[in-house]
Amino acid sequence: MTPVDVLLVGVGGGLGSLLRWAVGKAVGEHWHKDRFPLGTFLVNVSGAFVIGFLATLFGLDFTVRYGDVLTSGVLTGFLGGYTTFSSMQLDAATLATKSGARYAALYLLASVVVGGIAAALGILLGNLVGAA
Amino acid sequence: MINTVMFVMIGGAVGALLREFLMLTVGTGPDGFPLDIFTANVVASFLLGLGFSLHRRKLLNDGLYVLIGTGVMGGLSTFSSFVLAAVQLMDRTGPGPLSSVLYVGLSLAVGFGAVILGLRAGNLGAAPADREP
Repeated sequence: MTPVDVLLVGVGGGLGSLLRWAVGKAVGEHWHKDRFPLGTFLVNVSGAFVIGFLATLFGLDFTVRYGDVLTSGVLTGFLGGYTTFSSMQLDAATLATKSGARYAALYLLASVVVGGIAAALGILLGNLVGAA
Repeated sequence: MINTVMFVMIGGAVGALLREFLMLTVGTGPDGFPLDIFTANVVASFLLGLGFSLHRRKLLNDGLYVLIGTGVMGGLSTFSSFVLAAVQLMDRTGPGPLSSVLYVGLSLAVGFGAVILGLRAGNLGAAPADREP
């Protein structure tokens, strides 16, 4: 990992986090979080789609995390900062207290299943664009 | 508002860098199991739970919580790499699919346990009435 990679991961992580915060704020103005943590869900699902697409288009395995603008800046930095695993778990803990453990489990499962489908669709699109 | 923007950006940058350094230190696990992403996500879940409780008890002010909770812990954890690893492992031959299923199940279960543990650690010493998240 070179100093340039460090810079790219930092800048990407900062900008991605800012976009996550902005999406959460925009969603929060129209939707009450207690019903369903929609902001975090949308951020994570869209991030999963984009990483699936880019990783496939550029033929990258998940173990390749730095070395150029795409891997350091976009995948590790920006998308890593944009999406969040910790907020998903905190939302699940809040749901467990307010609505019951079953609801929290359902939210976690929905996040992973829909996130997985989004990544698979991104991979599909990456293959289509790559073949074109 | 401008302070919040700065806090989120700086926190996110620091969090993403911490994630990369932590991942390099931990390294990947056996059979393709992404032990590095797993560790970053579990650590961030614990610390976010801890920060949430401390903020609710006003031991952490709003600005610091945005910097640490929204910024650093959001940047330290990642859902995109988590899902990408799970999907790509599914597509591998050999132990790949089994590692993928284990990885997703353990990440959800241990991550949830970590956030609960963090919430409780942040409630230590608080009056019982002041403990619910």
